[in-house]
Amino acid sequence: MNNSVKFRFPGVVKTPSRFRNPIGKYRLNRTEACEACGKCVEICPYGVHVIRRGKLYIENPHLCVGPDCPNPCYEACPVKALSFGKNPVFDLLGDFRWTPDLLASTWHMAETGSVPSAGLEYKAGASGGGFDKLRIVMKQGSTGLAEISDDDIDVTVQLNRRDDNAHRVSIEVPFYGGGMSYGSVSINTILSRIKAAKALGTFCCTGEGGYPDELKPYADHVITQVATGLFGVREETIKRVKIVEFKYAQGAKPGLGGHLLGDKVTPGVARMRGAVVGYPLFSPFPFHSVYSVEDHKKHVDWIKAINPQALVSVKVSTPTDVDMVAVGSYYAGAHIIHLDGSYGGTGAAPEIAKKNIAMPIEYAVPKVHRFLVEEGVRDKVTVIAGGGVRTPHDVAKIIALGADGVCTGTADLVALECIRCHNCESGRGCARGIATTDPELMELMQHDWGTRRLVNMFLAWKKELTRILKRLGMTSIRELVGRSDCLVHLDYIKSKE
Amino acid sequence: MSEYQHISNIITSRKHLVEDLPKRPCFETVAEGGCGVTGFACSIPVRGKHIFEPSRQMHNRGNGRGGGIAAMGFDYRMLGVSEDILEKDYILQIALLEDGVLDELERLFIKPFFKVDFSEALPHVEDYRDIPGLDVRPPDVWRFFVRVKPDVLKAFVDKNGFAALSQRQAEDEFVFQNSFKINKMFYEAAGRQRAFVLSHGRNFFILKIVGYAEKVVQYYKLDDFKAHIWIAHQRYPTKGRVWHPAGAHPFVGLNEALVHNGDFANYHSVAEYLRQKNLYPQFLTDTEVSALLFDLYSRTYGYPLEYVIEALAPTMERDFDKLPEEKQKIYRAIQTSHIHGSPDGPWFFIIARNNTENDRLELIGITDTAMLRPQVFALHDGQVQVGLVCSEKQAIDATLKSLSEEDPRVGTVADRYWNARGGSYTDGGAFVFGLEKNGSALERRLTCADKFGSIVSVPQDQIPYLPGRVYYMMEDEYRCRFDISRFFDLQIPDLLFAYVKDGIRLWDYADLMDCLKEIRAWALKGDAHFDVALKALTLLLDRRYPTYDKKRRSVVQMIGQTLDAMFRSFPSLMTQGEKGAYRKIDWETREFFRGPVYNEKVLIIDGSLFPPEGDNCDSRLMSEAYLRGWRRFIVFGLKGQRFHGCGFGPDSGGVRVDIYGSSGDYLASGIDGMTVHVHGNAQDQLGQIIKSGRLVIHGDVGQTFMYGAKGGEVYVMGNAAGRPLINAAGNPRVVINGTCLDYLAESFMAGDPLNGGGFVILNGVEFDNDGNIIPLETPYPGSNLFSLASGGAIFVRDPYRLIDDQQLNGGEVLQLKQRDWELILPMLEENERLFGISIENDLLMVKGERKNPLEVYRKVRPKQKDDISKDGLEEWED
Repeated sequence: MNNSVKFRFPGVVKTPSRFRNPIGKYRLNRTEACEACGKCVEICPYGVHVIRRGKLYIENPHLCVGPDCPNPCYEACPVKALSFGKNPVFDLLGDFRWTPDLLASTWHMAETGSVPSAGLEYKAGASGGGFDKLRIVMKQGSTGLAEISDDDIDVTVQLNRRDDNAHRVSIEVPFYGGGMSYGSVSINTILSRIKAAKALGTFCCTGEGGYPDELKPYADHVITQVATGLFGVREETIKRVKIVEFKYAQGAKPGLGGHLLGDKVTPGVARMRGAVVGYPLFSPFPFHSVYSVEDHKKHVDWIKAINPQALVSVKVSTPTDVDMVAVGSYYAGAHIIHLDGSYGGTGAAPEIAKKNIAMPIEYAVPKVHRFLVEEGVRDKVTVIAGGGVRTPHDVAKIIALGADGVCTGTADLVALECIRCHNCESGRGCARGIATTDPELMELMQHDWGTRRLVNMFLAWKKELTRILKRLGMTSIRELVGRSDCLVHLDYIKSKE
Repeated sequence: MSEYQHISNIITSRKHLVEDLPKRPCFETVAEGGCGVTGFACSIPVRGKHIFEPSRQMHNRGNGRGGGIAAMGFDYRMLGVSEDILEKDYILQIALLEDGVLDELERLFIKPFFKVDFSEALPHVEDYRDIPGLDVRPPDVWRFFVRVKPDVLKAFVDKNGFAALSQRQAEDEFVFQNSFKINKMFYEAAGRQRAFVLSHGRNFFILKIVGYAEKVVQYYKLDDFKAHIWIAHQRYPTKGRVWHPAGAHPFVGLNEALVHNGDFANYHSVAEYLRQKNLYPQFLTDTEVSALLFDLYSRTYGYPLEYVIEALAPTMERDFDKLPEEKQKIYRAIQTSHIHGSPDGPWFFIIARNNTENDRLELIGITDTAMLRPQVFALHDGQVQVGLVCSEKQAIDATLKSLSEEDPRVGTVADRYWNARGGSYTDGGAFVFGLEKNGSALERRLTCADKFGSIVSVPQDQIPYLPGRVYYMMEDEYRCRFDISRFFDLQIPDLLFAYVKDGIRLWDYADLMDCLKEIRAWALKGDAHFDVALKALTLLLDRRYPTYDKKRRSVVQMIGQTLDAMFRSFPSLMTQGEKGAYRKIDWETREFFRGPVYNEKVLIIDGSLFPPEGDNCDSRLMSEAYLRGWRRFIVFGLKGQRFHGCGFGPDSGGVRVDIYGSSGDYLASGIDGMTVHVHGNAQDQLGQIIKSGRLVIHGDVGQTFMYGAKGGEVYVMGNAAGRPLINAAGNPRVVINGTCLDYLAESFMAGDPLNGGGFVILNGVEFDNDGNIIPLETPYPGSNLFSLASGGAIFVRDPYRLIDDQQLNGGEVLQLKQRDWELILPMLEENERLFGISIENDLLMVKGERKNPLEVYRKVRPKQKDDISKDGLEEWED
């Protein structure tokens, strides 16, 4: 990549919520006593208040950081017209994994392009396990590489490490968009994700619902999926892309295949998949043509026969023998092993499956990493982990556990103002117009807006990752791979010392 | 003492072997992986080199990190022992992984117990590095011919209460236990590994290496070593670093060697089950436990083979109900006792077994109940009989070709090829090739039977062709004998076809050969003549017609050779100054590659030397040629090369590909517009995601045919194996003239057939040996038809109303309507043109009577929507 021009990231464009009343953690009240002196507008660091024609408005209540505020308006108000309290709606949002704080901080990043400075816990959730029990250890007192410019911290990931004639592909940020199919989400959602991927020099996967023609202009940033239902898989779509992803299982529901409920099979979806309107679509759990690793090799050879230069990514869930699966995939010719853990999944994945089937990703990644190192092939294959990556800290943690990069999913939707209401599967009725194929609901969101939101969020991720790397004294994300010594598990931290 | 006391005595006697072994909380395999398996049984002993070619051609099913072979039924002269010793002694074969371990092993486990009649170190190639591709030194192998000393055996019998066993049974058990002890002491899966027992049965041995299976033959110098049965296994372990071959297949029970393709999901529970019988896996692979299971059922419990197969692959669902009541009773008892030992998941076993009690050698193929692994059986009858079973048909063809090169009595084509239907009431999913002594141990008689003992046979009154014979002929007689010039002058291939077809009745092989030579001579006179010859010969190859006193396989072989010779005679692309429409390309001339010039139209690809996949394979070359402007392709000489027709991209209308030879997997997958004809049987995974175009298969087709297809017009002359058209959407239109094993059109989503959607016509007929159409016993034997389908339809030729509700899951059978008939009629007409299966005289004829199509065909379609919700599929109700 030496002779290529250094990639230029886009700038942040402030992109507020598309709804009139964005949800914030705190609620500010202004009483009649207000004299419109403008003091609050002056001192608020977050631009919560605005003054228009002599009247004060709480324009951005969601940006208020409440008690964390260094310069609180409610104390400074000369007439004590301001008071704050917790927004009662806020606690109803989300769940233990995606806490209201995480949701709000993701919205914040998507709006402003940086992590919230205060008021929100944006690093971890409250699930009591997984990433939420891991912490990155920064050396106390050390400033790391503070003097180095952010631009000199390398966060690119090389995806093709085999010495073959497939494309040399690298991504400018250590993450790309995971598969969400046309049918499960709207075309605007897909376009937002793919345009953001293009802007950030990375990729986004189509999922298994086919490759809509609208994506053609972004072909160099599309990963097309060959999944067990083979919906929408055609030679032309395979020929068009640089990366082909084989989906063997999804971490959120391994062993269950895919399902698209009848209500979501609108005429557009049916046309794309060649199915009947209104009937549910099933992807079988296995590839009926692949029951063994030599079948898998044949499968990979087939895709290479269609597109010899395509990179092959193998997406698997995390069974106990995931290490064997990974090394087998590598020997069969895969460039990327994509481990999909069980924390992800939209509302359409059954709750019982999400939490109970596969091995937690934080166990699977180091297991695979170590096994590949022992086999001596770790530097020949890219390991991408996904499934429940919510924050830049999750990214850093999983890379420290042994992945090269991550794959995002739900975080993208949250950036588009998903509120985790878990009704993705219920017909066409995504209240936020994200996971819908209903033509009317779809119009709730425009893809230009969506693109900006996603770009902002990922720029915030990148900035935060860079900060973490600098704190750890590393100049490249590659140095972090497999450095599980940079992590502690909260349950074992005492016994260790 | 109960009648079965001896069984529990045997099991108890093994207790001391395993009680000190660690109780594993979880039995895990050390490596997983898939494989390719192949095996054949021959009525005469044949050389080891014949397992070489099929193994080599299945490289892509292994990764060179484990290979093994077993050979069974020897010529005693090759082993340096007397016939008597060969028959009666155990061949104890030990792999030594450490120097100097042999003395200790002999002192502890051989000398005290065995009378050694003969022992030797196996000869091998001096330096393993002389064999290309062999990176790990194969173990030194020591072979002992042994009998248990009488006093040792007596003590063993007394100690364990084996009085009820025959001497031989007790001796078998002693050998088995002794080998277990050897492995226990010298081989720990997790610890130090110094030596292990390869095999210890009678009249067979096993050899394994880290490398491809055929290297075993080279390294241990078995090229010229003769045996009746050979099986080989290409292993594909997912773990990369392997320094010794103990984990490679075959595995041994006592008198059986087992290879396996697949993977168990329930390894742990099978291992637990075996532990209850005091059996303990020592090599931690699922194949080992399979061999132990087989030995447990057959030797310890003394089950007949049928019951052993039932215990391994239980008969389920509708198939079970279809069994006779008597069998149901027994099978239910077997299933109740042994279901926990039944391997779950995809597997296919090939077993070489010395049935010592009946003095019979057996080659057995067993598929799992769900038929998740590919498998093909074949029978070649004649002076030399061969039974074959492989993962891919191309390996069968490769074996026959190799055999026929040495012995002309073997043809290059088998009499019959077929698939087993796992756990079924029809064939039980297993076939057994038995070799019985016929005068001498070296001239055996081969029979083939399914699980239930029904014999698979071929017409007995036909004689095969012997190429070695010399036919004399007068010079002038040659010229006027065949009056075929008019066919060429008038360009009428159909009549030439009819001429030869009719001629076969009166001609002998020599005449037929001459006629074919004559056709070939004509064909070389110009492109127009070649076209006639090609069409006529292709018809002769594809169509079924009576061959009278000649074997069809011989006729097919001769036609195939004629075609190959014709194809080979065309100039390559590097030849200058040729003006014909046909050009040939092969491995040697592939560098001289260019688009068509002048009136060049057809590219003939000699696939024989191309690799089966990858950057240099011929299918890649073909799609490259398409980009350069070629539109018409003939591919011949194939040996399982894959992916023909793939990679052409969208809108390949106007392209036509004809495939001759042993075509490979994934053929015509993803095609969009082109026409592909497969002349002969096809393999697995054909026509996946096919979007549009035409695919014609003049034979049978393998597993997961047209998986995820979106469209296309497809004709299959014979049967499809398991899982055809799963998850097909859009508008695929398919005629299958035979039947399918099971799971036809599961999750079919192809819209409304009357409104542009897709459908399958299942005719349920076959050709008899004279080329007449006869109905199958049932048009569809499987338990799952059109399961969970939401669109499309299946039109079944079912005049006797044999399709029942039990076979459907979410579908319903309807009376055919006139509109339906009008929809399928054009397809059937095309079917008639392609295969000669007449609508009026064959399909609508029921018991000699012409019926109304609406009475003959039935329609299966998805149950209407509200019916589905009534089906209880909805979990919650408001």
